Amino acid sequence: MAVSTTTALSIGGNVFSGQLRRRELNESKLFQKPRSHFRWSCLNDLHLLRFRTKTSNFNPRGSSLPSLYAYGKEADDAYLSNVNEDTDEMFDDLMKKYGEVVFRKSDRKSPSAELDDDAESLSFAVEMAKVASDVKAGDIRVLFVKPLVYWTRFFIIATAFSRPQIDAIGSRIRDLAEKKYGKIPSGDTKPNSWTLLDFGDVVVHIFLPQQRAFYNLEEFYGNATLIELPSENQPPFHARE
Amino acid sequence: MIQPQTHLNVADNSGARELMCIRVIGASNRRYAHIGDVIVAVIKEAVPNTPLERSEVIRAVIVRTSKELKRDNGMIIRYDDNAAVVIDQEGNPKGTRIFGAIARELRQLNFTKIVSLAPEVL
Repeated sequence: MAVSTTTALSIGGNVFSGQLRRRELNESKLFQKPRSHFRWSCLNDLHLLRFRTKTSNFNPRGSSLPSLYAYGKEADDAYLSNVNEDTDEMFDDLMKKYGEVVFRKSDRKSPSAELDDDAESLSFAVEMAKVASDVKAGDIRVLFVKPLVYWTRFFIIATAFSRPQIDAIGSRIRDLAEKKYGKIPSGDTKPNSWTLLDFGDVVVHIFLPQQRAFYNLEEFYGNATLIELPSENQPPFHARE
Repeated sequence: MIQPQTHLNVADNSGARELMCIRVIGASNRRYAHIGDVIVAVIKEAVPNTPLERSEVIRAVIVRTSKELKRDNGMIIRYDDNAAVVIDQEGNPKGTRIFGAIARELRQLNFTKIVSLAPEVL
């Protein structure tokens, strides 16, 4: 789109200068000064044309382009030609140096900061899993899902055996998260057959056994790495039944 | 822009194939629903031998719209189809898997369950 606008502009400039030349022929000497001024503008038009054709395949949204539109009284030919040469060279250098590179945002976190965040989330997730096991939730799994989905880091999947137990697990987790970490979850507020607590980096799923088998989240996230829980020495849920 | 009488595809494995919106949940006389809004819909077409049947009235969350979704950063998302996910009264999805890409706005609107079942989040 930008290329088409530049071509439209340069065509307009040519038409403009052509009309001016005709007007110049008809005019008397009284208009000597303005005429010279008009000549400059024609010249500038040519410069602009050359510049634009040269850089038409380059991104024309560069910062130096808008200043070139301001031709007229202030525009000096020598200055303009200098600018043209400079910008051409500059663009050539830039193209040589970077080529057609898509740049990343500068506000990206460094890998070490990412690792720190991961460790922080991991300690939070393990703490939450510990709380869930205190309230006798069954078959607690902590999954590191960051490599699979971008929107969170850890999943905690747990089974509760009744709605009051879901309520107990949910409120315990909520209390501890708010007291110790100052995090308030979004998600379900009432106990549900699939209760979800969304802490941003950590998402807690509490299922009734039937729902856990129905949705089978572990299979869906089968490629995620399972985090070993330090306090998990009780036999898993399947073995107990 | 989903309004009553709009037909939608179903983006999950609940067994419904096509829905028709009959009401937008929200303010009284609400005209249009967008991504993340809940609608009442009737099943126009269903897969045989599944729990859901034709002409059943259900609730659904809209997950894709042909109308553009604008974000604050200037990004615009427009899908090829209008699609919804069937949910129950508690907000749990009736299917176990979601098909196709969905928008991350659903997470802010407290549909993280749908997001966690989806294969791709834009």
